Amino acid sequence: MSDLSVQFEGVSKKYPHFALENIDLELPAGSIMGFIGANGAGKSTTIRILMGLVHQDAGSVRVLGHSMPDDQAAAKLDIGFVSEDMRLYGAATLAWHMDFLRPIYPRWDQKYAEELARRFDLKPQQKIKGLSHGQRVKAALLLALARRPRLLVLDEPTTGLDPVARMEVLGELMAVLADEDRTILFSSHNTLDVEQISDQITFIDRGRIIDSDNKEAFLDRWRRLRLVLPPDGAVPRLPGVVEVAGSSRLPVLTTNRFEPAMVSACNDLGATVQAVDTMTLEEIFVANVHSRRERLTA
Amino acid sequence: MNYSIVRSLILKDWYFQRRAILLALAGGALSLGIVVYGGKPGFTIGLILLVTILVMISAITVMGNVLGERENQTLAFTMSLPISYLEYTTSKIVGNLLIFVPFWLTILAGSVALILAAPVIHGFFAFTIIMAVEILVSTCLMVGVALITESKGWAISAMVVGNVALNVVGYLVAHIPSITNGLYGTAIYWNSTATILLAIEFALIALLLGGTFFIQSRKKDFL
Repeated sequence: MSDLSVQFEGVSKKYPHFALENIDLELPAGSIMGFIGANGAGKSTTIRILMGLVHQDAGSVRVLGHSMPDDQAAAKLDIGFVSEDMRLYGAATLAWHMDFLRPIYPRWDQKYAEELARRFDLKPQQKIKGLSHGQRVKAALLLALARRPRLLVLDEPTTGLDPVARMEVLGELMAVLADEDRTILFSSHNTLDVEQISDQITFIDRGRIIDSDNKEAFLDRWRRLRLVLPPDGAVPRLPGVVEVAGSSRLPVLTTNRFEPAMVSACNDLGATVQAVDTMTLEEIFVANVHSRRERLTA
Repeated sequence: MNYSIVRSLILKDWYFQRRAILLALAGGALSLGIVVYGGKPGFTIGLILLVTILVMISAITVMGNVLGERENQTLAFTMSLPISYLEYTTSKIVGNLLIFVPFWLTILAGSVALILAAPVIHGFFAFTIIMAVEILVSTCLMVGVALITESKGWAISAMVVGNVALNVVGYLVAHIPSITNGLYGTAIYWNSTATILLAIEFALIALLLGGTFFIQSRKKDFL
């Protein structure tokens, strides 16, 4: 039996003005993947294909052992899905939604749902249309989590939330996720949100996966080296350099294959390493996207 | 096919349309009362009211249950449930028809009863049945178009086409001698022409519903 919860192989989907091309993606069971991309990069299309809501033109998709989109009904029984553009029924209460879902999901956990309602400070008898945006997101999360899904798919759940509501939702989400092991795919254009909860990171840009690794490896291998070159000195050729900024005397090199030995290599080549800066996930993402776009236009 | 989930989806749609259904029930009862107790003018006015309520309830439920899902962005919630296109399509068609058909049957039964109760309009029997089934054809057209296109514009166009077709069919059928001979007679009139017309209408219904399932099965984007 495969220990991959999600497996995309060569998946493509073409629209008149956008194409998802040759997507390969693997999400091991039990891991939390942050799926990062700018607006319009293809995150939602990828997730809709994963959910069987959009059918790929080419390639294969397996989710929890089910072939998508053919086995989508069976797969979705084990998936909790919350999306930025998903709304609950405004005229109904949260309690109505719980009652509606309970007979559909065999593993529905009513006690857990009630506990989450307390934790999220939600009143089950309140109508959805009377909730704030943050409360609606929490309500959707509650309804997804109480299904006890094997796979949780969160498509930009924090988009549109004010900073306070965003932190609340993320805080509650992290607290809930600490409870037990789940496989999660969390998409966002906000790297800060993703960084907090993910152990795997995948970047997508203009319909292509541009990098995928575990978070620690990302943070370990990406560095900015601030160099001081001697007069007429050349920028040392280092592995994995994706960007050279700064001035000719004081170049700043961004590498995605940093190793401590690079510092001594620079010194050997006549350059002085002034500083080795760690990078945030946002900086890594931006550098990654820029370098790819530059390669494409070169 | 997971019938249990189809049932849940239908009950959900009915729950959100409960006010419209109750209003239509009350309007239908009032109209039938006008038909029965309103004398000759009441008969005509009541029948027009009943047909109006029929058209209204089918339009409201289609707009709310089918198009409302996309407009209110609840389609993602519904489609994230463990369902396939087949269950979704079945729930929408069956759910809408189960709201419509009881009204339709009540009105049909009421109209037939009135025809039979009146002394000299028994000949209207065939015409009434054919026209009633034509209303059902129009409703199936609107449900199918709304499901396939998920567009208010197309659904309204289908409604207009259905209503125009109703008038055209009414005019044509009223000019078929084998149907209209003896309209104001005392005998119930049914012949092979009426059977053929009815068969064509049911074939159209089957074609519309089958076509809707076929096109839905080939749809690649549900969101």
